[in-house]
Amino acid sequence: MRYYETLYIINPDLPDDDYRVVVTKFSDLVGKNKGVVTKVDEWGTKSLAYAVKKFNRGSYVLLQYCGEPGITAELKREMSLDDRVIKYQTIKLSDNADPEALKTDEDEGKAETGEKEVPAKETSAEDEVENGV
Amino acid sequence: MAYNRPYNRNGDSNRNRGRFKRTYHRRKVCKFCADSSLSIDYKDIKIIRYFTTERGKITPSRISGNCAKHQRLLAVAIERARNIALLPFTTSTVK
Repeated sequence: MRYYETLYIINPDLPDDDYRVVVTKFSDLVGKNKGVVTKVDEWGTKSLAYAVKKFNRGSYVLLQYCGEPGITAELKREMSLDDRVIKYQTIKLSDNADPEALKTDEDEGKAETGEKEVPAKETSAEDEVENGV
Repeated sequence: MAYNRPYNRNGDSNRNRGRFKRTYHRRKVCKFCADSSLSIDYKDIKIIRYFTTERGKITPSRISGNCAKHQRLLAVAIERARNIALLPFTTSTVK
């Protein structure tokens, strides 16, 4: 399985309920496409470095997951169709990843040092990037 | 004018050669090589922003002192951060 990470920006003006709907929607979408979510990190509302779709602020959400190659295309399609998502970017973190190992790594890291880095990250030189507005 | 230019340039370099030519360079060390705990990640803007100019351009390695490998990784990280609006492409148009 490949290990991916998608950072996407949600409309900051959405009510809290709608925001939760969007976050869970994409996390569930990974599961529907036979992927495994290893981490969902909500950064909260931040100001954007430049205006995107006339928004100057946005809610960042980081989604890390394992899945087969087709999963990114599906996620990309859904995000481009969804008006609530302002911008997104998907990056491949590694080619061969074991979701269970990553999950346990994550838990141990949190328990011990609060470290958020995953060992699989070292292969950034061969990353591929997909992004869209 | 066109005749003067090469003459002047040669004259200058001849005059300076061997006299005031001694300049001191402090050896720059790649920050990422020196500190292995420092990793290049496009999400970590604090570190990456250090290697951009006020205008948002990528600082050349001859100024930042980065080694080629890390400069390459850094450039990729900056491009990614720009794509997802964490860093500006340029600051002249905003505000």
